[in-house]
Amino acid sequence: MKKAAVLMRKAPYGSVYTAEGFRAVMGIGIFEMDVVLTFVDDGVYALVKNQDPEKLDMQALGEGFPMLPEFGVNGFYVHQPSLEARGLSPEDLVMDVQLVDDAGLAELLAEYKTVLPF
Amino acid sequence: MKIGVMVLEGPYQHQAADSAYHFIQAALARGHEIAGVFLFTDAVNVANRFIKPPGERNVSAMFDELGQQGIDIVACTACAKFRGMKRDLTVENIRLSGLGSLAEMIQNSDRFVTFGD
Repeated sequence: MKKAAVLMRKAPYGSVYTAEGFRAVMGIGIFEMDVVLTFVDDGVYALVKNQDPEKLDMQALGEGFPMLPEFGVNGFYVHQPSLEARGLSPEDLVMDVQLVDDAGLAELLAEYKTVLPF
Repeated sequence: MKIGVMVLEGPYQHQAADSAYHFIQAALARGHEIAGVFLFTDAVNVANRFIKPPGERNVSAMFDELGQQGIDIVACTACAKFRGMKRDLTVENIRLSGLGSLAEMIQNSDRFVTFGD
């Protein structure tokens, strides 16, 4: 089965990348594919609880992630150094995730081969 | 080798579409096959047939020509709606389709390469 990792790199608002990465993962996850989501750099903000982008006239993204397993997403990996560099901990996130360090992330992306960076 | 390509940026503002084009040319020259090109987010603007850059390379014509060679070039339907891009505004050899086409390209590729910001 084809393995694909969607890589979230950017803050959830300010540009469309995270929202489109979310859409892409929903779009491809329903096909026969092993899809995981990985969050690095400002991408980790996408999972922070209680996002309130109403004043930006945007819909909150964070709460959508926990439903992605229903769309065939098999794993959620967060780059721990990115999380810590932003003063965040796993308790700040909308769901349980697997934490990876630099080596773990490199290994994961090498294993998944098809990487879709957003 | 079969290579799939995704582009995430519109033409002229970013290098991504140009880089994708040159990458595809180089891959074809080496005997590789292009499983498809998916134009996502602002990259759907590459499909605009009214692009007429004064005195510079025409990015939509470049991709149209790749399509004419038989490469499947797909602009994301939903992204196109967000940007006012319709079938009658696109060059002949780029088609509009959904994320199912992206999934198909990934499945049909040995390698998948994204050009973005």
